Amino acid sequence: MNLHLLPLIVYAAAMAAYAWHFARRDPAVGRAATTLLVAAALAHTFVIGMHTMEAGHVPVTNATSAIASFVWLLALSYLYVEMTTDERAMGVFILPLLVGLQAIPASHPIAEARSQVLQGPLFGIHVSSLLFAYASFALAGVIGITYVLLFKEIKAKHLGFFYTRLPSLQILDRMNHRAIMIGWVFLTLGIVAGAVWASTYAGADPRVRAMSLEDPKIFVSFVCWGVYSFELFAARRIGWGGRRAAYLSALGFAIVLLNFVPISYFLTKSHNF
Amino acid sequence: MHLLVVGISHHTAPLELRERLDFQARGIDQALHALAQRGSTREAVVLSTCNRAEIYAACDELEAARGDVVAFVSAFNGVPACAVTPHVYEAADLEAARHLFRVAAGLDSLVVGEPQILGQVKAAHTIAAAGQRTGPVLNRLFHASFGVGKRVRTETRLGSGAVSVGFAAVSLARKIFGDLAGRSVLVVGAGEMGKLTARHMKSQGVSHVTIVSRTMAHAARTAEAIGGANVAPWDDLDAAIAGSDIVIAATGAAAPILTKARIEALMRPRRNRALFVIDIAMPRDVEPAAGEIEQVFLYNLDDLQAAVRENLARRATEVALAERIVAEEVEKFGIWVRSRSAIPTVVALRQHFEDIRRTELDRLAFKTASMPPDARARLDEITRLIVEKLLLHPTEQLKLLGDTETVGAYADALTRLFALSERALDAPDAPRDDSRVEPFRPKERGRR
Repeated sequence: MNLHLLPLIVYAAAMAAYAWHFARRDPAVGRAATTLLVAAALAHTFVIGMHTMEAGHVPVTNATSAIASFVWLLALSYLYVEMTTDERAMGVFILPLLVGLQAIPASHPIAEARSQVLQGPLFGIHVSSLLFAYASFALAGVIGITYVLLFKEIKAKHLGFFYTRLPSLQILDRMNHRAIMIGWVFLTLGIVAGAVWASTYAGADPRVRAMSLEDPKIFVSFVCWGVYSFELFAARRIGWGGRRAAYLSALGFAIVLLNFVPISYFLTKSHNF
Repeated sequence: MHLLVVGISHHTAPLELRERLDFQARGIDQALHALAQRGSTREAVVLSTCNRAEIYAACDELEAARGDVVAFVSAFNGVPACAVTPHVYEAADLEAARHLFRVAAGLDSLVVGEPQILGQVKAAHTIAAAGQRTGPVLNRLFHASFGVGKRVRTETRLGSGAVSVGFAAVSLARKIFGDLAGRSVLVVGAGEMGKLTARHMKSQGVSHVTIVSRTMAHAARTAEAIGGANVAPWDDLDAAIAGSDIVIAATGAAAPILTKARIEALMRPRRNRALFVIDIAMPRDVEPAAGEIEQVFLYNLDDLQAAVRENLARRATEVALAERIVAEEVEKFGIWVRSRSAIPTVVALRQHFEDIRRTELDRLAFKTASMPPDARARLDEITRLIVEKLLLHPTEQLKLLGDTETVGAYADALTRLFALSERALDAPDAPRDDSRVEPFRPKERGRR
């Protein structure tokens, strides 16, 4: 049996609980939802731990295992945000993402490569920084979407569903900005570490030699970096906060997702081991 | 013992009469004292708010107390009985309990679900308890009502959503800015509406309030009325808007003073910080098109009133849920009341057993006199424990009896079987196992 099925089932249960809590706003259901998500994250930790022992390093070298690790990091990051802000409303948006992405490793067996070039600290920094950056961008994207939903309700003077369920625009804007900031730092770090690593091992493996800006995965990563850099610049210099930043966050995350799933599976020549 | 409520409220009495029947103004303590002097009630609580004046009482003779309390209400407030009586409502026993529970839940309020009433009910009970005018019955009743109020608030959405324009504005400001501390409000115009809204914002935590008016003297007067507000001249209006988070426009101007172009020009130096504009002027002070500007949230009086109407409609759907909670709690209270009616029998039965124990110990006193003191103490303890054990189950069963009729039948049987004294059964002041709180007794009765 594919071990990734276990966390998937618990994530799905947590998703149902978050949806129920969002609709009915019952605090007991909210606590149950958080408990389920913690359980899912623990189960996921266990599964990743098993794969780590099997492969000798954290399983991140091919697209499927990287997605599994990304889901795990996103779950942990979201739990951190929920516990520090005491705000559960975002869970209903994050959980479908976790469930949808976790379905990929749950339905594809993971064959973790053991390659000489994939050892060493540089590779570790490259992958873990990028996964963490993507998790931050996922949070920012979801926060951005909720911002737009609430913004539209207030602008339209129709104070209904989201008005009673979401935190204030100001808080959403600040959370979005912080997530983008953290994500941008790790994205930059990840790209730099990747570039240094690729130049070090260029002679060792044909896939490493294929790493250039012409590779779609690398190219789109730079596009992402450009979008988020612009968002940070615009927020600081031309007062692009609020809805515009929210839209940019959602756009940026759409690109991340594109890079992460279809490009990783079908287009890249360099990033699959 | 019976429960009784007698009162008038916004449902039954016009404002003029409610103003005249104001126990709060004449002193709740004095009212409680005066009512106690009349001797018709054994416990009493006076609940007096701007929408209601009610007296909750525990009494022995329901009919007599009913008439006497109405007479007291008119006499104490100096209003002729004929003016009061047509507007008075009354309820007894479990219906009185239901009435209080509905009041505490906010179901009987003018604005259904308003939260202040629960605090007022608590305060009314505190005053009566401090003056030793409450006893086991009203203490139990009022504590149950606090529980009802709390349950309704946590289990239903009866109290959710702003139901006044001022609260709707504050709630919106919170949804836009989060915490209001550190935010600044600008009031344009020195009229009454602007002043009220600004005062409300200030009480909700807004840090700075600035008033701008064409006449500085008016602005200064309004600022003083709000307390701790600043004043800025009319010519500095643009700068004042640029530095504010919330603008309340309330001038008497005939044409809009804040046009879209004017606000748009101000958004640049603000670096697109959100601006919440509340236009409560008639005719409007702000061009409606200004609401199209990114990060400008424009609400006029009609918009806020629409939000209030929506909230009121939502509350109405929660009423049925709250009524169900009230019914459940009345049921629970009823069980307690019925268990109480068995108490005189329980007390008499225990007294009877204790008397026998004492008599027998006294009869054997000459034999036990030679025993060491600790052995005698043990003997006393053992006999007491035997009596306790013998009575434990019958006592519990008596308290669980369903209705008053069955309790009466059991009481008769026990009285006959054990020859319980009539005196003990009838004694109204017999000690009770739940009388931790000193029962209220009218003074002349206490002296007897």
